[in-house]
Amino acid sequence: MKVIPFWGCMMPLKYPQMELAIRKTLPNLGVELVDIDGFTCCPDPIYFKARDKIKWLTIAARNLAIAEETGLEVITMCSGCISTLKEAKYTLDEDPQTKEEVNRRLKRVNKEYKGTAKISHAVVLIRDTLGLDVVKKSIKQPLDGVTVAIHYGCHILKPSQIMHVDDADYPSILDDFVAAIGATPLDHREKLLCCGKGCMDEDLPLEMTETIFASIEASGADCMGLVCPTCFSSFDLGQIMISRKKGKTYNIPVIYLFQLLGLAQGLEPEEVGLHTHRIKADRVLEKIKESARK
Amino acid sequence: MAKEKITVDFRFRDKLNKVQGGKHHNYCYQCSACVAVCPAARFTEDFNPRVILLKALLGMEEALTGEDSPIWLCTNCYSCYERCPQDVRPIEVIIALKNMAVERQKAPASLAKLSENIAQTGVSVTITSAVNRRRQELGLPPLRTIPIADLKKILEDPQGTPEDSE
Repeated sequence: MKVIPFWGCMMPLKYPQMELAIRKTLPNLGVELVDIDGFTCCPDPIYFKARDKIKWLTIAARNLAIAEETGLEVITMCSGCISTLKEAKYTLDEDPQTKEEVNRRLKRVNKEYKGTAKISHAVVLIRDTLGLDVVKKSIKQPLDGVTVAIHYGCHILKPSQIMHVDDADYPSILDDFVAAIGATPLDHREKLLCCGKGCMDEDLPLEMTETIFASIEASGADCMGLVCPTCFSSFDLGQIMISRKKGKTYNIPVIYLFQLLGLAQGLEPEEVGLHTHRIKADRVLEKIKESARK
Repeated sequence: MAKEKITVDFRFRDKLNKVQGGKHHNYCYQCSACVAVCPAARFTEDFNPRVILLKALLGMEEALTGEDSPIWLCTNCYSCYERCPQDVRPIEVIIALKNMAVERQKAPASLAKLSENIAQTGVSVTITSAVNRRRQELGLPPLRTIPIADLKKILEDPQGTPEDSE
């Protein structure tokens, strides 16, 4: 099936290895990515929204209007992008006065927000449209014995009345995805704790990420798995910050779940950009090699 | 003990009602469900969404939109929105308060830095030659052009004051 990718900013500009993993893995699931011109930043659901919500809605509505014009389903691979686009749609659809104000602005560039776009996160497209069996069938190298501590991140789940993805308290979408890849999702105490990145304070975010690391360390997982690039920065670079500021080294590899899918589809670590991460995924790769030998 | 005199600044509450998302503050009945699920409240006593809502109901403009406001400690996690039985959407009230603080030029300086890139370039991350080089090394296609002219047009304020002169 054809879908339009909405790449956002974090993936193409900061973590292009994630874009690479998507481009390498989705075609193996029968998805054709049709790149189009015209999108801008979603914009980010934290800072730009805090600056001016009407302008935040306006930029999002312009992106949504472009999505509407394509007539195809638009997928995002970033929790921030899906949060902004879905919340903007929800707000514009429930608040006609704001919709009118936003459309007055869009008229200047001959665009109109109608409310007809279909936007999903890639993991939702896989679960609901393609089916997890398609994932299972694409696996060439099952990740036997690889244990993954999942970090859900806030924005793909909450608020559930807008996101319509899963039960926000007992989610299973990412666990099921990891299981379909052939790895083992491992529960840990702080699985649903926020990474803290959106908090404009110096100490608080580090305390929150450290709480999550301690929880993952206790679980004994081989790696952390997630789908949000902002959370990724809290955890990959975040571990360097924590060893610098707090003197505690965790050394837990942080893997974007589509990179994990790529490994299971038989791609080399470099082909999904794992070599670009600060925390190297050696122990995961060793386990995969081991399982390949068997 | 003499009763403490409580005054409510309805002028501020009227203003808050007019900011997108602000109106829902009226529905708060102070149950604290938001506090129980708030990660910022778990890690610091300086942040408590129920107290922020109480101050909104009292119309305490300076405490909420002044320089020392705790609103910037919000992690933006949406747990309060998820849990609130009154559909207050505390995070959206906090966003409305942040918008008001920006209007009063009382927001932290880092906010302007973090949001200005989008207004000026259409993306949140600065595009440097290193970005393009890394994409090339990974074999990714070149970046698409960002329609900056269109973006500036939709951000312009009705009186014709461009965003960047704010």
